[in-house]
Amino acid sequence: MKVKKSLTLALAGTMLFSGLLAGCGSNNNTNAAKETNNSAAAGNSAGSTSELKPYELKMYLIGGPQKDLDLVLKEVNKYTQEKINATLNITMFDWGDYDKKMQVITASGEPYDIAFTSSWTNDFRRNAANGTFLGLNDLLDKYGKETKEVLDPRFLEGTKIKGEIYGVPVNKELGQQWVWRFNKKYVDKYNMDISNIRTLDDLEPLLKTIKENEPADITPLAVPKGFKPFMPFDYVLGDELPIGVYMDSTDGKVVNILETPELATSLDTMRRLYTAGYLRPDVATLEGIDNIKTGKWFADREITQPYAEKGWSRSAGYEIVTSPMHEPYVYTQSAAGSMHAISVTSGDPERAMMFLNLLNTDKYLRNLLNYGIEGTHYKKISENVIEDLPAMQDSYAMPGFTLGNMLLTYLHADDPADKWDAFKKFNDSSKEAPTFGFAFDPTPVKTEVAAINNVTKEFMPALYTGSVDPKTYLPKATKKFKEAGLEKVIAEVQKQLDEWNQTKK
Amino acid sequence: MSAFFKSLNKDKVLWFMVLPGTIWFLIFCYLPMFGTIIAFKDFKIHRDGFFASVLNSKWVGLENFNFLFSTEDAYIITRNTILYNVALISLGLVLAVGIAITLNELVNKRMAKVYQTAMFMPYFLSWVIISFFTFSFLSVDKGILNQVIVYFGGDPVSWYGDTRFWPYILIFMGIWKSIGYSSVVYLAAIAGIDKSYYEAAMIDGASKWQQIKFITLPLLKPLMVTLTILAIGGIFRSDFGLFYQIPRDSGVLYSVTNVIDTYIYRSMSTTGNLGMSTAAGLYQSIVGFIMVIVTNSIVKKISKENAIF
Amino acid sequence: MEVFKRKPKEVDNNAITPFWNVVLNIVIGVFAFTCVFPFLFVIAISFTDEKVLALNGFSLIPEKFSMAAYQFIFNTGDQLFRSFGVTLLVTVLGTLISLFLITTYAYVLSRRSFRYRNFFSFFAFFTMLFSGGMVPNYIVATQFLHLYNTIWALILPIAMNAFFILVMRTFFQTSVPDALIEAAKIDGSGEFRTFLQIVLPISLPGIATIGLFCTLGYWNDWFNALLYIDDASLVPLQAMLMRIQNNMEFVIQNSMQMGSSFEIAATLPTETVRMAMVVLATLPIALAYPFFQKYFVKGLTVGSLKE
Repeated sequence: MKVKKSLTLALAGTMLFSGLLAGCGSNNNTNAAKETNNSAAAGNSAGSTSELKPYELKMYLIGGPQKDLDLVLKEVNKYTQEKINATLNITMFDWGDYDKKMQVITASGEPYDIAFTSSWTNDFRRNAANGTFLGLNDLLDKYGKETKEVLDPRFLEGTKIKGEIYGVPVNKELGQQWVWRFNKKYVDKYNMDISNIRTLDDLEPLLKTIKENEPADITPLAVPKGFKPFMPFDYVLGDELPIGVYMDSTDGKVVNILETPELATSLDTMRRLYTAGYLRPDVATLEGIDNIKTGKWFADREITQPYAEKGWSRSAGYEIVTSPMHEPYVYTQSAAGSMHAISVTSGDPERAMMFLNLLNTDKYLRNLLNYGIEGTHYKKISENVIEDLPAMQDSYAMPGFTLGNMLLTYLHADDPADKWDAFKKFNDSSKEAPTFGFAFDPTPVKTEVAAINNVTKEFMPALYTGSVDPKTYLPKATKKFKEAGLEKVIAEVQKQLDEWNQTKK
Repeated sequence: MSAFFKSLNKDKVLWFMVLPGTIWFLIFCYLPMFGTIIAFKDFKIHRDGFFASVLNSKWVGLENFNFLFSTEDAYIITRNTILYNVALISLGLVLAVGIAITLNELVNKRMAKVYQTAMFMPYFLSWVIISFFTFSFLSVDKGILNQVIVYFGGDPVSWYGDTRFWPYILIFMGIWKSIGYSSVVYLAAIAGIDKSYYEAAMIDGASKWQQIKFITLPLLKPLMVTLTILAIGGIFRSDFGLFYQIPRDSGVLYSVTNVIDTYIYRSMSTTGNLGMSTAAGLYQSIVGFIMVIVTNSIVKKISKENAIF
Repeated sequence: MEVFKRKPKEVDNNAITPFWNVVLNIVIGVFAFTCVFPFLFVIAISFTDEKVLALNGFSLIPEKFSMAAYQFIFNTGDQLFRSFGVTLLVTVLGTLISLFLITTYAYVLSRRSFRYRNFFSFFAFFTMLFSGGMVPNYIVATQFLHLYNTIWALILPIAMNAFFILVMRTFFQTSVPDALIEAAKIDGSGEFRTFLQIVLPISLPGIATIGLFCTLGYWNDWFNALLYIDDASLVPLQAMLMRIQNNMEFVIQNSMQMGSSFEIAATLPTETVRMAMVVLATLPIALAYPFFQKYFVKGLTVGSLKE
């Protein structure tokens, strides 16, 4: 009994203690916010840049922290101070850490201004749903006009959530297109014509040739467990979950992909390919595959961009050729491959937008941030072409596609001169997927989504790679998905999709 | 209340000694515990910082806990977690004590030291790296195990596709990695036992086995009880790497490899909801807590000395 | 004439029979070998040429010897040495601080005369099960204590551990008989002096154990660095390793969404470097292990009850 009494006393004490400190903590925050609010308001009413108060923008970017970051930032700040009286304080988190660190930073309410976001890290939809990011429609109209003009409008459409834009997209390849990649060595050896290889059926005879004529360690179809046969669906919740809309759909109906004939035939085909030995026997357990390194492969698949083969061949050390699987499409997530968002805790959102506008339209600034200082990190061969100096690899190798409008960046000697034009053409030729621009909010069915995530991981990799017999496993999967509440999720998706379609009209 | 002040006065040195640790616990453990309230809220970010976010988020009661119970998986993961833990705790205890005693009895002390250092090594490897090695054993085409089987005329087994063997594989790997670490505690305890007890027993004609049974084991009992009760507190938790990396996240094996921690991880992979993950952690904590209270009370009735509190 | 002087072999009358000795040696020996075996591979792989490794898989003897992995690591220059230094400092300092906090707290728990020992036991134990989670801990450490980018962020958050405390308490209770403490009290020794001069020396095996565990805990910790450190001069060794490993896995798993990422994949270190890092991070601590080990040898502590 004594223990109980002292226990309750202690717990009460701790609660009180926590509450007090909590009070202190939040007070600090609100005061700071109020102050910066005032100064921002003052800056706003002034209008002209000469009257802008100096402000330091805190920015989080992804990528390995670079040794010369401070050096380059000094130059950057000289420039930005001139233009918008703002200086930059950039912190970089490495690829594997970025998501976790941003989660902790945003949840703990630390103030910052700009952060890199996308569909594959620091997920912009999750953040928008949580209220982390500011809606940017007004800011873009007021201070980001030039950026808007440069961007293919579909970039902005695709990243709208309930009509509000939450991230400034980076101008780069917009369309997403899967291609079959081939190890040219074997293509030439057997005189294969790969110009029309689109489907798995097209591919099959080629795989057979390799399997029959090459030693066992040459993998005909070198794919890891994430492989999915191409099917004409627009996946609404990511291509793992079997919820989609037909690409050519006119009625916007959301289907359970497990029940479609396309899935059944794809699975049968994959099973056939697997049992014939065209894939690695342990494919369902392969997280990644090192075929490029060993060169012991014939075909695999990858997402492409204009002139991608050159990059792939260059890093592999041997030639790789491709054949497209389908026409390029614009999905919501392809528009969200790389964006910058402004935090709700930002002290001066207008300044943040001004900076982003500058970054996406000013050639000098954009290249400074990307490639570093001329003469130190690179040297110019001509107006638009540069050559990397060793210092770049050592001290300032930045992931270009995360930094802003790609089309402004300098080219390298082995890039085709029309690289950015090719990008533009590629983007223009991309068709919009039916749910392009639609962002599903999973909160009403979060329990079911969590459950079907588990079922997906249990069945889909094995099924998609043909590792198990669909005749026995597909019914099992279907049943388990049903139990997990797949129907409920589909109904909710349909509901939200219909609402969104209404607003489009 | 007066008892409290009396104690303060009488044991003032003790109170001083317990103070630094207590302060640490208050700051680093009890203070952050306010965060568990997120488990009951639909957490949304507010511009004024964390506390504003918590206060302004909607109260949703037990909704965040639903995903743990909503499907038949709930039974599977719970069953798996409990069974694996029971096996690991009991086997771990027997083997750790057994190895500690054995190492002490080996005649060549230098070899004993070498063995002991060797057994500690797996602790330093991460499950990711260990999974490379298990893969090189169990891979269906190039794995060593299958090569041996084929050599002796058998058919290769699809290890990552067959659920039958995995409970044994996982329990073995779990023990293999931790036994060096766990036996150290018992080794140290045995080292502290007065040698004269054994000498006296030997003079009385006791056999080795009797010495172990009547001297070593009883003297190790407090430690065994303490460690076991503490282990029971983790009954709903698992070593994530063991159950995720070693089976290489092979879906076909889920019915025997999915435990609560892996289920939570996989559920969060597309939603990442702070409220739900906090709720899951809270659920595991509460169950473990109840188990310990129950176990502790039982132990208290049998031998008051060995209870934790 | 040189006579080989050999110390007469001590005859242990209480030893186990030779038969059992051999059997147990074999059993334990085999098991110990399986524990070391993967390490041999790790070392072998770290000295293997990358391409050959990808082609032929793991093999115990490097098919093509190569120092490339180590060269890659040492090319990072002073980062490696700095990280090593940070880890060393944190480990030593942290272990000392931990041992102080743990032994004092555990000693109080072990004193049966202390009225509130059960309360404090529960107080400590409760923290083993319940935790606020990553975010509240982060807030306390950064917003209240301002530990971000300081060495204390690597030491303080894991300085105490209820598990260690309870084990230590058990050690105190079993190795130090009450009679001894009463005797000391009668002799006029205060609690703290008793603690320092009587209890601690007797409990050396226990302290060595907990000291070892603390050392390992600090040495292996990368999580706190992930959360609280982004200043390159304060990144500890394991964190550096983990960072690289996480990056590799992340890029592999997400490469399709990242699109233009093939440039990045080329700069990431490879399997051999990964293994080399394991070797570098583990070897020092494995070498330090015998230092603790000598305390586990039976009979090292002097029987204390005799007077």
